[in-house]
Amino acid sequence: MLLVVAAFIVAFVLLLYMISPLISPKPLKLNGAHVVVTGGSSGIGKSIAVECYKQGAFITLVARDEAKLLQAKKEVEKFAINDKQVVLCISVDVSSDYSQVESVIKQAQEKLGPVDMLVNCAGLAISGKFEDVEVDRFKKLMEVNYLGSVYPTRAVITTMKERRMGRIMFVSSQAGQIGLFGYTAYSPSKFALRGLAESLQMEIKPYNIYVTVAYPPDTETPGLAEENKTKPLETKLISETSGVCQPDQVAKIIVRDAVQGNFNSSVGPDGYMLSALTCGMSPVTSITEGLQQAAFVELYDRQRDSLFSCSWPSIKTVFGLAALGAASLTFGAYLTQK
Amino acid sequence: MSSEEGLSSTITDWLFINSWWLLLPFIMLLVVAAFIVAFVLLLYMISPLISPKPLKLNGAHVVVTGGSSGIGKSIAVECYKQGAFITLVARDEAKLLQAKKEVEKFAINDKQVVLCISVDVSSDYSQVESVIKQAQEKLGPVDMLVNCAGLAISGKFEDVEVDRFKSERRLNSQKLMEVNYLGSVYPTRAVITTMKERRMGRIMFVSSQAGQIGLFGYTAYSPSKFALRGLAESLQMEIKPYNIYVTVAYPPDTETPGLAEENKTKPLETKLISETSGVCQPDQVAKIIVRDAVQGNFNSSVGPDGYMLSALTCGMSPVTSITEGLQQIVTMGLFRTIALFYLGSFDSIVRRCMIQREQSKAADKRE
Repeated sequence: MLLVVAAFIVAFVLLLYMISPLISPKPLKLNGAHVVVTGGSSGIGKSIAVECYKQGAFITLVARDEAKLLQAKKEVEKFAINDKQVVLCISVDVSSDYSQVESVIKQAQEKLGPVDMLVNCAGLAISGKFEDVEVDRFKKLMEVNYLGSVYPTRAVITTMKERRMGRIMFVSSQAGQIGLFGYTAYSPSKFALRGLAESLQMEIKPYNIYVTVAYPPDTETPGLAEENKTKPLETKLISETSGVCQPDQVAKIIVRDAVQGNFNSSVGPDGYMLSALTCGMSPVTSITEGLQQAAFVELYDRQRDSLFSCSWPSIKTVFGLAALGAASLTFGAYLTQK
Repeated sequence: MSSEEGLSSTITDWLFINSWWLLLPFIMLLVVAAFIVAFVLLLYMISPLISPKPLKLNGAHVVVTGGSSGIGKSIAVECYKQGAFITLVARDEAKLLQAKKEVEKFAINDKQVVLCISVDVSSDYSQVESVIKQAQEKLGPVDMLVNCAGLAISGKFEDVEVDRFKSERRLNSQKLMEVNYLGSVYPTRAVITTMKERRMGRIMFVSSQAGQIGLFGYTAYSPSKFALRGLAESLQMEIKPYNIYVTVAYPPDTETPGLAEENKTKPLETKLISETSGVCQPDQVAKIIVRDAVQGNFNSSVGPDGYMLSALTCGMSPVTSITEGLQQIVTMGLFRTIALFYLGSFDSIVRRCMIQREQSKAADKRE
């Protein structure tokens, strides 16, 4: 009886896995697509631009510093796969003023056509204790990381809705899934991106536009080097539990998830666990993803927490002792039978 | 005869050994189950010993930003009823005095005071700092800070608010982030040093259920409330050794002037989606919030809806009681499954409305 039910469940799950691709969004073809990357002059943004360029896209790099932009343009152009590809550079501060950002997007669309994919990668990180971070930094971080993603998104959304297609990507951070020591100014700005993405996805889903939020871990970029200058000891020790990734690694995964239309994009087993745990009310684009979240999230839950928060190490020891006790009890019972 | 006895004894011996083999896994399972039950009961019993000591509100100094109306005012009333000294902080002086009169009705002794200070908590940190300094000079160091200053604007992402007094276009996103987020950062920053010196305190952020799930029409509001959670989690990790506890409240739609204002521009889809959970009364909400803040619980939610949402979205947030953690572990998978169905229904509401709108547009064009 039990076997029949189990077999039925297994068959059902296999069926779901098979029909899942039919329900997921159609992948975006990057060949010939117009991809706008804000913060594309360095770090993860530049790697994302390279990754898209390798697949045939037309890139618009948006950043503040003109010199860095031209440098990045040269680097990206090395990866051309045909003659028609173009890398356009526009210099603007995406967090300053909406009208400026609007006109920049308009320029880009006049030159390279309507935007197929927008990658919001403009951002910076500041690490420090709550009382030590200068008060104006809170506002600054929120402006660059959050408003600097709102403005470009707002500028492209109308055209995407008319064309009934598009991809919008927000580069958040693992600090946007968990608030850690030293990130009281940074985490909120990355959490905010998730709130924006969830609401936005619900609004634009019928228009076949998919939102992706990427949660990369510490990545080897100039941004991280800058962040490490003021990073408190506690944050360094906590960050050691997960390693540092390479930006091209991260970019590959991000671009793959954006093209596929997956809402969450995470890197590595760490990232997978964190995303499954913090999925909350975020949408899924594949049934299998939802199943995994429902089935495995309990296993991952507080095990992960114990690495970061101090309320569980004692509980872990107690659990360990309990397991030991249970094992010895059963062993003792077995021995008494002999 | 001896061979029969021998045979029957060997048979009973054989049965005896075999039945032990059959029973062994069941006995093991029973032992393990009993051990688990005993362990869980033990956790429930020792849980109060590990949780933070509740804050005594009698004689405590509670600062409530946004305390002149809505949930803030109800929180002030609730704390006042328990003997606290209140400082109300808001922008409008007239509303502040009105609120002061209402709160003072609930005095339980002669010594209690309600102080009113008018300031925009999102404008400038130095102003907020001096306001807190004033309040601490008059009523002593702050024991509990309630960050309730905030507003909600509901509308589709493309509906931009144009700031008529300036030439640059100011989006709702920016305005809401400043009031809801920065307006909580500044007061918190102003009280934190004193709280750390005293090794005690409570900091409360009033987020929203829209800070646990991003819904249609809240692209400007949800991020500001999500941000409060990011702030709270990081902050709690920093100040936990100082015996200061952070609480994030996630109230649902609550019957306040703020909600009335929000409803003016609320899109149809949002109204339909919000109907799945009802509207609460502010004093209800305030009771629960104050209780959780005093206890030092990180999450504060209202009703079974709220409980499900909090357990589902708990993610990496801290727990202050083992029982809470256990409940989260056990219920998350089920709640995620339920959540997926909810999301499906929200998506279909949005799609239906879009189709209807386009059909009526096409009909208009034809006429």
